[in-house]
Amino acid sequence: MNISPVHFIAVPLLAAFLIPIIGRFSKEFVKVIPGIVLLYLSYVAISLFPVALKTPIVEVLAGWKPPFGISLVYGPLAAYLTALITLMGFVIWVYSYKFIIREPIEKYYMLFMLLITGSTGIILTGDIFNMFVFLEITAIAAYSLTAFLRDKDGAEAAFKYLLIGSFASSFFLLAVMLLYASTGTLNLAEITSKIDSVAMSTRILILILFLVGLGIEAELFPLNGWAPDAYSQAPSPIGAIFGGIVVKAAIYALMRLVFLLFNFSEVFHFLLIMGIITMIVAEMSAMKQQQIKRMLAFSSIGQMGLVIIAFSVGTSDSVQAALFQMFNHAVIKALLFFAAGYLVFHSGSKKISALDGLGRDKPLTSFFFALGALAIIGLPPFAGFWSKLYILISVADAGLITAVVLVLIASVIEAVYYLRVVSRLYFNKESAQETEVRRTPLTGLLAMGVLALVIIVVGIYPDYIWNLLKPAAEELVNKAEYIRIALLK
Amino acid sequence: MTSITGILGITFGAALLTFLLHHLVPKLRNIVAILAVGATGYIAWQMPIDSYMTHFTIGSFDIIWGNSEYSKLFALLISVLGFFALIYSHDFMAGKKRLGYYYMNFLIAIGSMYGIVYSQDLISLFFFWEIMTWSSFLLIIYCCKDSQQVGLKYFIFSAIGAYSILIALVLIYANLGSVTFIKVFAQFGSMSFEVQLSSVILLLIGFGVKSAIMPLHVWAPKSYAISPSPFTAVFSGALSKMGVFGIGIVLFKLASQGGYYIYVKEILAWIGGITALLATFYAVFQTDAKKLLAYSSVGQLGYIVVGLAIGTPLSIMAALFLAVLHAAFKGALFLATGAVYHRTGTTDMNEVSGLVRKMPYTFLTALMGIIAVSGVPPLGGFAGKWMLYQSLIESDHYFLVIVVFASSTAAFLYLYRYIFSLFLGQEEKEFEDVKEVSWLMRIPMLTLVIFTLVVGVAPGLLLEPISGAMGYLGVGATQFETTVIWNAWGNKIDMFTIMNSIGILFGIAFVFITVKGFKSGRYVTTKDIHTSGEVPTENENLTYAVDFYKPFERALGWVLKPSVDKFYNKIATNLEHAFDHLRYIYTGNGQTYAMYVVIFLVILIAFSELIFGVKL
Repeated sequence: MNISPVHFIAVPLLAAFLIPIIGRFSKEFVKVIPGIVLLYLSYVAISLFPVALKTPIVEVLAGWKPPFGISLVYGPLAAYLTALITLMGFVIWVYSYKFIIREPIEKYYMLFMLLITGSTGIILTGDIFNMFVFLEITAIAAYSLTAFLRDKDGAEAAFKYLLIGSFASSFFLLAVMLLYASTGTLNLAEITSKIDSVAMSTRILILILFLVGLGIEAELFPLNGWAPDAYSQAPSPIGAIFGGIVVKAAIYALMRLVFLLFNFSEVFHFLLIMGIITMIVAEMSAMKQQQIKRMLAFSSIGQMGLVIIAFSVGTSDSVQAALFQMFNHAVIKALLFFAAGYLVFHSGSKKISALDGLGRDKPLTSFFFALGALAIIGLPPFAGFWSKLYILISVADAGLITAVVLVLIASVIEAVYYLRVVSRLYFNKESAQETEVRRTPLTGLLAMGVLALVIIVVGIYPDYIWNLLKPAAEELVNKAEYIRIALLK
Repeated sequence: MTSITGILGITFGAALLTFLLHHLVPKLRNIVAILAVGATGYIAWQMPIDSYMTHFTIGSFDIIWGNSEYSKLFALLISVLGFFALIYSHDFMAGKKRLGYYYMNFLIAIGSMYGIVYSQDLISLFFFWEIMTWSSFLLIIYCCKDSQQVGLKYFIFSAIGAYSILIALVLIYANLGSVTFIKVFAQFGSMSFEVQLSSVILLLIGFGVKSAIMPLHVWAPKSYAISPSPFTAVFSGALSKMGVFGIGIVLFKLASQGGYYIYVKEILAWIGGITALLATFYAVFQTDAKKLLAYSSVGQLGYIVVGLAIGTPLSIMAALFLAVLHAAFKGALFLATGAVYHRTGTTDMNEVSGLVRKMPYTFLTALMGIIAVSGVPPLGGFAGKWMLYQSLIESDHYFLVIVVFASSTAAFLYLYRYIFSLFLGQEEKEFEDVKEVSWLMRIPMLTLVIFTLVVGVAPGLLLEPISGAMGYLGVGATQFETTVIWNAWGNKIDMFTIMNSIGILFGIAFVFITVKGFKSGRYVTTKDIHTSGEVPTENENLTYAVDFYKPFERALGWVLKPSVDKFYNKIATNLEHAFDHLRYIYTGNGQTYAMYVVIFLVILIAFSELIFGVKL
């Protein structure tokens, strides 16, 4: 069997269908399947990466040539994002292996696989309606995973997510309908070549619908009300999935559409301002949070604001920096959620105030949290430093010094609330009663260790990843090239 | 492998190693740390001057590390002070918890300081700067109460400073396309006036935070007070000097290229002078020995800033001289205070007293230390202050010289209080069993004070490398010989003569006091007649270390009342309140969120002309 980008969608989808069936026979095997699938997908992602850098792969489904059939476009950008998603998915699986011990395990892994299917689908597809379908798959899996713990808070969070998410889907679908009505095609590349003939007002209406629809998933202020609840009520690995995978896919969709269809400076300005507002409001709200995972959720929103700022500067450099930041955020925030998961588990409370002195009892987990905190603030020699530096330089190159200052103010706020937690962890509390000794399982430590290692290695040697991102950034900026590739011209 | 990568590799490698050894062979951990810093000190000493030693690129950035005389001066300062502080740590930290954490962060801090002084481009400078910030932050929160607030305040100020540097960095990068020192030094003047001036100001703010110039100093007193004493020595002696290092570069390599140079210098000099004066007053009223020394450090850094900002050859020489000396004597003083803490468990000057007989070596260190701080000959402080006053008078800064002189005089107050409260006065029962600290702790302290003595007699030994460093800054040094400095009017000042005269004076005084003491001295007990017949109880306070300068405080308290620290705290609390209200945008109510979505959509549609320029 030749490896092809189709596997990114087909294999996890198949696994998602098989898991409930296999679950009837062996619970243990169910836990292993996602690992095998994601390992395979990571292998596919890595082995296809160089191919995509040379000549993008366009996979035509069902024998209909584009623009008529559904096609998958696997260029450098898609290659990068799928690699990120599958690798992160694998690490999250390793972490989940011992973390998710509550029934129904097979449902968890089934939804997890669906989430991977949906997210890779969003990134790979060259068809806008198809994109809608994958968005829905992702969203539905995400709603259910939010409520996975089946407690009151989880259900409430999931319901909010569902409520807001249904807005997203309907607006997105409406936009797709309008696009189809005005261009007569659903193929993204074909739409792009025809979009200029569409009346400006219709185009802007479509844009607004997309902005609202995808802005909800991409956590744009003020559409991100669902996010803090969903992140904090879902099991910790799911928080990592949301921050590391789902949002990344949504931002990809938003940016792909903006760069292809709505490439006006006003749109970029608007997004820049929205990005700044999103970042500032989120960081300010994170400041006084009582619960650690809610704090992480707000921080995620803030980071997405930063990514949006970088994207909306619109130069190739800034897009490259944004993609780098997406990578770093996926890795670092996953580490933070992982560590927070066990810190919450060990302290027995979701509250930040319960973390006093845990650095002594749980040195490794606390160390990982501290590392993640330093990294996400953007301190060297950790990964977050370089992406923030690249973003700031590209923003300053575009003459937007105010934006630079605002990003840095947000960073100061970020530093305050993260270090507050870190100093609590290392606060020498003379605890009278010895807490019950619970060990962080090896798989959890392994997953965190790998992420920590990536953070340090990328922090010391960022060039490898940075250079990989260059073609990806150019692909996003250059829409003529995309049309040429996607339409097999 | 070039020497700089060697130095950085050794320190950061040793940092990791100490952390691992902590769990495997704790004994080795300390030795590894000491050896690493010693070895890097040796490498730094031997390293040839080469401003383009290591060169590589990260992304599109040129990273250059090189050694200049200026770097060498500071690198040696870091290694020597770090070396002694680590030797001292061996016994001081013995038996404490989380030593792996302590040694790792200590070495990371030292390594990052090496990185800063060897950086020949802004990116690596900033890179190491931030590492220095977080490693020292982690050391501040190592122990003690209040560590959270204090650490956080330190970090916030550091972050503000670091981000000022970062903004300047991206500004310069956007204008010049490169931030290597070679390029920036050469072309800084070619940028527009606004960019130049804002970069200079931002960089000065950034470096000013670390060197604790007012009003950016508020983090310093408490951070110095609660960090472990060996690290406090490095903190005040070397880490704060990184700010001085940066200010030197900004002033003489960048700002000197613009027309605003003279104004920047003048303003900075005054800020430095006021810092020196106010910090001295604050120091006088401290009851905690480490806090007193912390404020004293702030004041001393004020002098150094004054010297740099005046910008004449003599003043720069004085500033760099004081910078090195301050590291030595303030290092010694912090170590001595640490020794007191080690034996008595407190640094509160109201509690500890009369240790002179129990800790004679520590007392000697403290005594020499305060003599050096106060600038009385024959110790090093004299030569430095002498040069500073001269340069101020010579450059017609008469008001400033009054300010500086006033603060220098006021410094006697707190220095006397320091030595009196801790070592002199009545012996307390509580501290009857106090013993002198071990030799491993004595040697570092004593070496540092001996250094100040040697340099005091023969300032030329230190002025030699300083003149090299000034060559790098593009300022010619003034004339000097080993034991002689020239004043601004060409007269020789021979330290030996001064040394001899002082020696004779002290000798006479010593003989006089001893002889007189034998005649009229007698042993005073607590139940002496001076209590007018009333027998004081055990716990009655007969030393006047408590409320030491009450009248002075009454007279001058109002000057110090409007505390900038309180102002910052107020801002912080208000911001926190504002943020706390703001977070209720996220009400937790799904209906509200849905409303937001709809309102957002409506706004976009209604104002589409405004936002996107197209009417729907």
